[in-house]
Amino acid sequence: MAPGLRLMIPTTPTVEPDDRQLVETIRRGDTDAFETLVRRKTSKVYALCYRIIGNAEDAKDISQLVFIKLWENLEKYDAHYAFDTWLYRMVTNVAIDFMRNKQSRDNAVNSNLRLVKTAADAEQSVIVQRKEVEHVFDEVSAVLSPKQKTIFVMNQMEDLPSSEIAKVLGCRESTVRNHLFNARKLMQVQLTKRYPEYAQLWREK
Amino acid sequence: MMSCDSFRTRFHTGTDDAALLEHLRSCDRCLDFAAHADPDVMFRALGSSTFGSEMIPPGGIDAFVDGVMQQVRVRDAETAVASSQAASWPRRLAMAAAISVAVFGATLIYRFDTPQDSSPVPRVAVAVPNRTLTTKPIVETYDSQNATIVEVPTDGTGGDDVKIVMIFDENLPADL
Repeated sequence: MAPGLRLMIPTTPTVEPDDRQLVETIRRGDTDAFETLVRRKTSKVYALCYRIIGNAEDAKDISQLVFIKLWENLEKYDAHYAFDTWLYRMVTNVAIDFMRNKQSRDNAVNSNLRLVKTAADAEQSVIVQRKEVEHVFDEVSAVLSPKQKTIFVMNQMEDLPSSEIAKVLGCRESTVRNHLFNARKLMQVQLTKRYPEYAQLWREK
Repeated sequence: MMSCDSFRTRFHTGTDDAALLEHLRSCDRCLDFAAHADPDVMFRALGSSTFGSEMIPPGGIDAFVDGVMQQVRVRDAETAVASSQAASWPRRLAMAAAISVAVFGATLIYRFDTPQDSSPVPRVAVAVPNRTLTTKPIVETYDSQNATIVEVPTDGTGGDDVKIVMIFDENLPADL
């Protein structure tokens, strides 16, 4: 073909299959469809794992485990429910299990290695930066139970309403709100201890 | 994308406005502003739509997906092997059943073929004198079409003589 000449073939716009359609295709044995689904959901799953676990490598491993469990249990998915809700449930179950095991290991080793900021540090001007916030969150949320942290992350960072979180975790909405309330309270105490400069902002609210 | 001015005008404590949160998650200056107005948003700024690149697993999406697919293939192969082993159980059971039937059948056939007296013969104890045979019966010649003769060759010291040890013949004379 001569350079500069291109064959113009009219193409019909391809419509991406939605999650439910993909699941149906996968159930018929199409592994490529599963790859598409993994590619589509990786960021979401990894983000949630990362926020709950707080460590990139662990979050990656847990995310991969989630997708493998997804593959093994896809037959159990009921298409009457939103796929993301089912996926979130799987993520939270695996991540919470991981956190519980990790907490019991860490508590045995690092119970005395907690960084506490001094009052002198608090005198410094407060300039909130994202990286700093991430660090603060990791520190402060360490006192939360895996479930509390999961709920806090889903509500505050994933913007899921408590009704949706209740569906994901299979509990009542009031339980979710209760966990959220306790999580905020515990974090506030930790913030006061470790980062008084931020806690002051919270109190002034 | 919302401008910083617009964000600061519209922002209020406890906001759930998706556009505001999206801006908050991409603008450090407004995060600082918002955190002073409402510290709760400090952690909300860590949402997943935040730092695009940071929400990609280490090694990139392609490597991540490859890792998952590789493990899925391994699991599939394991499942296939396990299921084939499970399928061999019925086969083994079928073989065991066939062998049992064959043995049972052979037993039945043997029983029907073997002549059995239906009437039991009363047994009588006979006192047999304990005698030692001085000579052994020797058959010089025996001519029969239906006989089966089992011969044991000699050890070579007795010339060409053949010692006959057993004769199977239905017509064998009783007085032999």
